[in-house]
Amino acid sequence: MNTARSLKRAARLSSGLFIALAAGSTALMSTLGGALAAPKGELVVINWLGGSELATMQAVEKAFAAKYPEVTIKEIPITWSGDARGAIRTTLMGGEKVDILIDTWPSFRKELVDNGMLRPLDETWAKYAWDAKLTKSWHDLGVVDGKVYSVPYNYGDRSGMWYRTSVLEKAGVTPPKTWDELLASFPKLKAAGVTPFVVPGKFWAHAEIFETLLLRTAGADASRKLGKHEIAWNSDIVKTALKKWREMLDAGCCADVPTMLGTDWDNAADITLKDEKGGFFLLGMWISNRAEENYGLKPGKDFGIVQFPALGLGHDDASSVDAKSFEAVTTGQNPEAADAFMDFALGAEGASIWAKAGLAPPSSAADTSAYGPVIKTSNDVVAKADVVFVLGDRLPAELGDEYRTQLQKFLQDPSDANIDRITDALEAKAKELY
Amino acid sequence: MAEPTTMGIPRDGQEGGRKPSFFGRSEIGAAYVLLLPMLVLFGCAVVYPLIDTILLSFTDLRGMAPGKWIGLRNYTTLFGDSNFRAALSTTIVWTLVVTALSVGIGWGLAIVCSLAPRATLVFRVMFFAAYGVAETVSGFIWLGIFRPNTSGLVNAVLAGIGLDGWTNAWLGNVSTALWCLMAAYAWTQVGLPLMTCFASIQTIPKTLFEAAYIDGARSTSIMRYIVLPLSMPGLRVAIFINLLNALRAFDMIFVLTGGGPVRSTETIGYFMFRESMLQFKLGYGAAATVVLLLAVVVISIPAIIKRTAEAT
Repeated sequence: MNTARSLKRAARLSSGLFIALAAGSTALMSTLGGALAAPKGELVVINWLGGSELATMQAVEKAFAAKYPEVTIKEIPITWSGDARGAIRTTLMGGEKVDILIDTWPSFRKELVDNGMLRPLDETWAKYAWDAKLTKSWHDLGVVDGKVYSVPYNYGDRSGMWYRTSVLEKAGVTPPKTWDELLASFPKLKAAGVTPFVVPGKFWAHAEIFETLLLRTAGADASRKLGKHEIAWNSDIVKTALKKWREMLDAGCCADVPTMLGTDWDNAADITLKDEKGGFFLLGMWISNRAEENYGLKPGKDFGIVQFPALGLGHDDASSVDAKSFEAVTTGQNPEAADAFMDFALGAEGASIWAKAGLAPPSSAADTSAYGPVIKTSNDVVAKADVVFVLGDRLPAELGDEYRTQLQKFLQDPSDANIDRITDALEAKAKELY
Repeated sequence: MAEPTTMGIPRDGQEGGRKPSFFGRSEIGAAYVLLLPMLVLFGCAVVYPLIDTILLSFTDLRGMAPGKWIGLRNYTTLFGDSNFRAALSTTIVWTLVVTALSVGIGWGLAIVCSLAPRATLVFRVMFFAAYGVAETVSGFIWLGIFRPNTSGLVNAVLAGIGLDGWTNAWLGNVSTALWCLMAAYAWTQVGLPLMTCFASIQTIPKTLFEAAYIDGARSTSIMRYIVLPLSMPGLRVAIFINLLNALRAFDMIFVLTGGGPVRSTETIGYFMFRESMLQFKLGYGAAATVVLLLAVVVISIPAIIKRTAEAT
C-alpha cells in the first residue's frame, strides 16, 4: 500500500518535474532562441556621420554583415549642414522606413519619443543582458519617461583642454591643475607670443567653456536642473559661472572679441595644435583624431589633454560628456536585425572597432589596450567623474540656439549689467518653451 | 485666303466668319500637349511646395509634433520679432548694396572691355566663371581670404606691407562682417552684368560715337547720352536678376558667417533657415519664407509686366 502510494507520489512528482522541466526548457530555448536566432533581411540605418567616424561606423557594419551574412545593411546617407537633426526629421517625416537611427541629442530623443518614433528597448536590454556591458548611468542616459530608448556606443569628454606640448614648454607652463595655475599661465603664454586660451565663438563651441565653468561652480546636478528648467536661467548659479568666465577674460586669456567671434572650432584646433599659436582650447574628443590624422601629431608626445582645472568649490569631479547612441525607430521593418546590430556594436568585436579608431566605447566588452595615451587619460577622468551630458544638446533647439547667441553677447560685453540682460533673455525664452 | 501662322496652319475664322483667334484649335491642343510635361513638373516642383509652404505658415508646426492651425499668428509674431526686423533691414541694405556694387562694377568693366573686345576675352570669361562657380565654393575661397589671423590673405597682405595695425578678424567684427560679406557676394555677381552690358554696348552703332566725336562731345556726355541709354536693356536685365539673386542669397552667408557675429549678418533668407532648420519652428520659418516670396514677387511683377508689354 505504502509502496504503491509512494510509487504514485513518485510518478506524480516525476510527471510534475517533467512538465516543469519541459516548460523550463521551452522557456529557456525560447529565450536563447530569441537571443541567438540569426537575423535576416534588410537593416536600414540612417547615417549622418562624417569623416573618420563614418568610416568607423561602416567598419562596424561590415563586421556585422560578415557575422550575419543573411542581413544586408542599407544606409540612408544624410547630407546636412549646420544641424543634422533637420535632415533626420525630414527623412523620418518623409516616410522612410528606418530600423536604426544614430542620435546624440537628448532633447531630440525626447521629441522622437513624444511623437511615437522610437521603440522602447527595455525588453531588448534584458534579453541581451546589456547590463553586463553598460553601467547604470549609461542606461539611465537613454531613459525617457521611465523607458530606455537608446544604446550608447561611444562617448567623449567635453571638459578637457587641449594643448600642444611644444607651446607649453616654450612658455614654461605645465598643464594647470588649479584655477590659479590656469590664470597664472596666461601672462607666460602671452609673453611666448601665443593666445593663452583660444575661444571658438563663431557658432557653438564657446558654450563648452560656460558649461564646464557651470559644472565647476555649481556641479553636475545644477547643470541637469538647468537643462530641465528646474533652475532659472537668471539665477545666481548661471551668473556666477559667467562671472568666473569674466575672470578669465580679465586675466587676459583670450584674443579680442572679433577674433573670438570669427573663430570656429576647427580654427581653434588649427591655431593651437597645428600653427602653435594658442595655449589651450576646450573641445570634444574628436580633436584627438583630427590631430593625428590631419596634423600628423603623436598623442601624448606632441599634444595632450588636461581636465579643466579644479576650482575647489566642491564640484571638481564633474565633467561634461557627449555620447552617440543607437535608437530603434518604430517604422523599422526588421527589429530583430536592429537589436542584433546594437548587441554586436556593444560586444567585444564591435566595441573594439570603435576603440581602435580612438573613439571611446562605454561597453565593458571593448578591448581598451588599443587606446592612445590621450584617450586613456580622458577616459580615466570620465570613469571617476560625475558626468552630465552637454548642456546645449539637452536644451530644446530654440533655446539652444538662443543660448549660444546670448553667450556671444556675453563675450562682447561681460559686464554685470549685460550678464543680467543675457540671463533675463534666456529665462524669458525658457519660460516660453517649458 | 487665311493668313498662315508660324506653324503653317490657317487661323480659324478669318474666312469662315467665326470669331477670330490667334491660334487654331488644333494648335491650342498641341500646345497643351507639348506643355503638359513641363506643367506637371512645374506643379510638382513649384506650385505644390509653394501652396504647402503657405499653408504651413498658418500652423505652429515645431519639430516632429503635428502642427495646429493658428491663422495669422506667425505673421503677427514675425513683425513683432526684433530679430526678424533686424534681418529685414539687413536684407534691404544687403540687396541694394550688393546689386549696386555688382551691376556698377560689371557695367564699368563692360565699358572697358568694349574698348578692346578681343584683347579682353579671357578676362571676361574669367569674370563670368566666377558667376558660374557655386556660391558655397566661392564662400570657402573668401573664408580663406578673411580668416582672422595672418593665415587669412587680407591680413597677410596687410601685415606684409607693414599695416599690422589694420589686421582684423573681418568676419568676427560686427562693424566689418556685413561689408566683407557684401564685397564677397558682389564679386560672385559681377559676371552677369559684365556680359549683358557688354552685349548691349556692342550693339551701339560705331557711327554714333563717330558723330558725337565730330560734334565735339565730351567723354562724359558720350557716356551719359549714348552709352548709358543704349546699354539700358542689358543693364535692366542685370539689375533685375542680381536684385533677385541678392534677395534670395543664403549660401555665402551660411559659409562665411552663419548669420553672425551675434546675428548681425542675418538676412531674411538666413533667418528663415535659422528658424526652420536650427530652431525647428517650421510654421514660423514658413511665414518668413512667404514674406520673402512676396518681396520677390513685388520686385518681379513690374519687370515681368514691362517685358511682356515689350514682347507684344
